[in-house]
Amino acid sequence: MHVVVATDGSQQSLRAAKQLKSFADPAKISDISVVAVIRPLAAVAFADDLSSQDRRRADLEAGGFRKAAESSVETVAAVFDGWGPKVHKKVRAGSPANEIIKAAKQLNAGLVVVASGGRGISDTVLVGSTAQRVQHYAPCPVLVVRPAPKPRKK
Amino acid sequence: MAETSVPPTTVDEPDEGGLRRSITGKQLFFYTLGDVLGSGIYVLIGLVAAVVGGAFWIAFAIGVSIAAITGTAYAELVTKYPQAAGAALYVNKAFRNKALTFLITVCFLSASFAAAGALADGFSSYFATLWEGPPALLVTLLFIGVLTVINFIGITESVVINMVMAFIEIAGLVIVLIIGIWFIAEGDADFGVLLDFQSRNLDGEPTSPALAILAGVALSFFAMTGFENTANVAEETIDPQRNFPRSLIGGMITAGVIYVLVSMAAALTVPTDTLAGSGAALLEVVEAGILPINTEFMSTLFSVIALIAITNTTLVAVVTQPRILYGMANEDVVPGVFSKIHPTRRSPWVGLLFSGAVVCALLVVGTFAPNVEGTPLIERLSLVTVLFLLFIYSLVIISCLKLRGQDEDEGTYRANTPLLFVGLLGNAAILYWSINDDPTSLIWCAGLVAVGVVLFLVEYVFGKRSRPPGVERGDPEAAQKQGDV
Repeated sequence: MHVVVATDGSQQSLRAAKQLKSFADPAKISDISVVAVIRPLAAVAFADDLSSQDRRRADLEAGGFRKAAESSVETVAAVFDGWGPKVHKKVRAGSPANEIIKAAKQLNAGLVVVASGGRGISDTVLVGSTAQRVQHYAPCPVLVVRPAPKPRKK
Repeated sequence: MAETSVPPTTVDEPDEGGLRRSITGKQLFFYTLGDVLGSGIYVLIGLVAAVVGGAFWIAFAIGVSIAAITGTAYAELVTKYPQAAGAALYVNKAFRNKALTFLITVCFLSASFAAAGALADGFSSYFATLWEGPPALLVTLLFIGVLTVINFIGITESVVINMVMAFIEIAGLVIVLIIGIWFIAEGDADFGVLLDFQSRNLDGEPTSPALAILAGVALSFFAMTGFENTANVAEETIDPQRNFPRSLIGGMITAGVIYVLVSMAAALTVPTDTLAGSGAALLEVVEAGILPINTEFMSTLFSVIALIAITNTTLVAVVTQPRILYGMANEDVVPGVFSKIHPTRRSPWVGLLFSGAVVCALLVVGTFAPNVEGTPLIERLSLVTVLFLLFIYSLVIISCLKLRGQDEDEGTYRANTPLLFVGLLGNAAILYWSINDDPTSLIWCAGLVAVGVVLFLVEYVFGKRSRPPGVERGDPEAAQKQGDV
């Protein structure tokens, strides 16, 4: 089975990857493709929250948003190091949900793993959440990893 | 929305094709065209007509030519540094002077603020033709507010929507052209008006045709602004060395030809005084009732088209501002909070909010500040934008010339050198004339630059020392691309 793990450079997407590793059976997964999507027309085309400050700075020097996306992909892919399945790293450009779905179709994926960062009303009220669209249109099962509820402050 | 598909790029399997990009030359062409067309002509044609007279198409022709020459310098620099698009970076590469780089970045940001303000004001003029109820200031503030929210959600990132917007903008201008052709075909046109110059300037003093045109060129220049934002997407353009120059310059020339033809059509069909007195001047052409179609229907349709066109260009400006701030935050020249990304929406929300607030403040100040010489807000803000951009464009051309012979390969596009000198001279001449004619604009420019300086001081005094050893503050090479500045 080919699993597509999407990352938008957020911490939550890294947690999603770890979530997959925590319960899935590596023997049943042949390939994992870590996919990042750059949004060329957005205000910030790709923001890498995963790499260290130094790494981010080096990326900026070397080549901008694409480099930032590659670094995020690398960090997420490192989660699966030595786990068993072959790991592929891919950077695409366009609308995130579309590109994730397209990647899933092209790779004939058996599972798509996405993070849903929403905790508050922003995710319920605002349209166009990537995770929601992937759920609706993916050609295969989708694992949506939501953040743990915030512990209540006393 | 399957527009931006690409075969996947593999990082680990280069045999699959290396870096694949997503924006085709055609899409880039329409992105440029839509970006340029939306701004000026709908908003500014009345003002240009007021200062030049019936011959104001000449002002557009000259303005467009100078801008297009500047476009060739951008094209050359983009093909050299596709991953590092933007005026500030070119200037940095050419001069290696941190203060100058910072100044250019702040100028670019300020130009974007002023442009958004001018466009918002133009929006309210057309909006008033549909519904006169709300006061103009309220409309402009709401307009900026809604665009900020739209950008936060991030639904404007579709290249297809961009193309649709460009087509709508063209459609509006084609309506004006058809009216002009119809008018000529009916035999009513008096072509003499096309060589008609105002004999007095706005202050009532006598003026010459040359000065009248110069005044018009400065304003018409605003109509060409927006093309520099195309550099933002250079990194994602397929085969940029081939596609970028063609699409950028092709888009600008197309826009220029449309502008000149539209100006002629407007001058022929509507008396210059009517155009000059109208905030929604192109609407006057439609309302002249020349086409045998219900005028009321056509007017409404045209107003909607104009609103869409202006919105499209304003959106690009509103996207650009937080992007610049994000880049500056990464260089540690403005507070780090501007590099904050919303965890879910992946938008630089602090930068968005701040930019929206600055533009709103501009509009409020512009509305309530003592009215300097009765200049309308929109004219003031467009002139401020143009001043900043002329300064930036001049430096970009100089950088282009200075960087000749460096980082070139066989695929580098090479702009025509004599033309570049003509462009530089043109930019400098308009800049000099504009400042001379309206020194109060400089106060506005200073105010906007001060915003950038204050942000720098805040970061300088309170900023954490987050730089790794050896990296100096304000070195854009260390933060180059993220900002596209």
